[in-house]
Amino acid sequence: MSARISAKTLRYLIVIGLIALWELLPRTGLIPELFLPSLSSTLMAGWTEAGEYGHALGVTLYEVVVSMAFACGGGILLGAVVGSLPRPRVLIMPMISSLYAVPLVILYPVFTVWLGIGSESKIAFASIYGFLPTMLATAAGIQTIDPQLLLAARSMGAPLGQRLVRVIIPAAIPTVLSGLRVGGALVIVGVVVSEMLISSAGIGYLISRYRTILDSPHVFAGVLLVLFLAIAFNAAIRWIERKAAIWQTGTRAGQANDEIASGTMQPAT
Amino acid sequence: MQPLANVTPLKPAARAGAIEVKNVGQVFKTRSQDVVALEDVSLEIKPGRFVVLVGPSGCGKSTLLMMMAGLRQQTAGTITINGAPILQPDPDRVGVVFQEASLFPWLTAEDNVEFPLALRGVPKAERRAKAQDALKLVGLEGFGKRHPHELSGGMKQRVSIARGLVQDPPVLLMDEPFAALDEQTRMTMGDELLRIWAATGKTVVFVTHSLTEAVYLADEVIVMSARPGRIVDHLQVQLPRPRTYEMLSGDAFGSLRDRIWRHIRKSA
Repeated sequence: MSARISAKTLRYLIVIGLIALWELLPRTGLIPELFLPSLSSTLMAGWTEAGEYGHALGVTLYEVVVSMAFACGGGILLGAVVGSLPRPRVLIMPMISSLYAVPLVILYPVFTVWLGIGSESKIAFASIYGFLPTMLATAAGIQTIDPQLLLAARSMGAPLGQRLVRVIIPAAIPTVLSGLRVGGALVIVGVVVSEMLISSAGIGYLISRYRTILDSPHVFAGVLLVLFLAIAFNAAIRWIERKAAIWQTGTRAGQANDEIASGTMQPAT
Repeated sequence: MQPLANVTPLKPAARAGAIEVKNVGQVFKTRSQDVVALEDVSLEIKPGRFVVLVGPSGCGKSTLLMMMAGLRQQTAGTITINGAPILQPDPDRVGVVFQEASLFPWLTAEDNVEFPLALRGVPKAERRAKAQDALKLVGLEGFGKRHPHELSGGMKQRVSIARGLVQDPPVLLMDEPFAALDEQTRMTMGDELLRIWAATGKTVVFVTHSLTEAVYLADEVIVMSARPGRIVDHLQVQLPRPRTYEMLSGDAFGSLRDRIWRHIRKSA
């Protein structure tokens, strides 16, 4: 075989290279430790304050999980209604679409006034933040089901319940999952950002607090934790996609998803 | 249950596969006016015949087919199959093949063929056996594990035909099934369909835009006029079977096709 390396190996090499640079650049003094603390000092900082980070991770995870349940559950439910019934669609879709362009983070201060600076305001904000793309994707997924498939099922004598279970749901799965991918990522963003803004606990709060005292290793330890959270979420979604939507491999949507999935896609705040 | 491939044509006593359309009309109500899509259509199709519906776009031939399938209710008249009216889809009496293969992309070919059986809770082993027979009948033995995106256009339509036949209904309704295929595939599929039809003895009602396809396949061609859709001619195609490619350039073939074309030109 030739010396060509597969894309996968190359990706691993790049990641390993970046990790090595992270350690080497600050150590050799090319980058001041204040801007970028070395990987080892970051890990050390995280290790010595393991209890604090563990607690923060617990808070953040709790907020992420609850928000995801709201965002994904609500998004799929309302998306299904809006996607299958024309009247709510006409009423709701224009509002949702224009809302999508608003930087929702402006709502967060309002939520803290309503709900306080505890987990509730973060959950409220992150839920709404992740809800929109999930809902829009679900609505689109259901709306774009090929009517021929439903007609075919009807011609074989499938009543509405069977059409729902055997046609509508499987047909909508790929689009819904791509909505969950974006929505879930936004939930993580929403939780961490709101923790950084006004709060008293969570990883975002720790990052923000250590930043004010210029303790870079502890800031980066928090960043690393968020990174792991996002990667774990991405891996979970990919696992679900593989389990539930084998059929979309080979379609263009499936390939596009694969390409996105192989990079770490993160939406902007 | 015999394997499908060996099903003998028709038990005459049951008159299985007879279709009777009596004074059928279809009116679409729109906000401004009522559009008459079909008006007073009557026709009788004997069991085991291959009948093709042709006509200009919008003549209601697909609508008529959908009503025979029970997928649409006529606003006047009655349609009976096997002597009983069709009020809703009845897969025991009627199998339907659509223009787009309309296979479920998340299911394999054999799962697609089994779909109508799964709907009624037929046990897995029996389902699998029937699906295998149906796939064999359409010449797709060994392709059962493939997903639709791994099959060519012609193969997808074969799967679709297998799905229409898997419950062994006496009537097979086909709505422009080869319209999306390229010319060569279309010719091959026509021959394949005739072979399957000869092997199973089904009554086939076939909608098409292609006059050549109509004459090539049919025992009888029913020509419809544009809105309001009416039957303007009912031709018997006396060409011998099996039909061959050489017949396409023969005089008998040409004069039948011309006769249909004159009707269609008049009403379009």
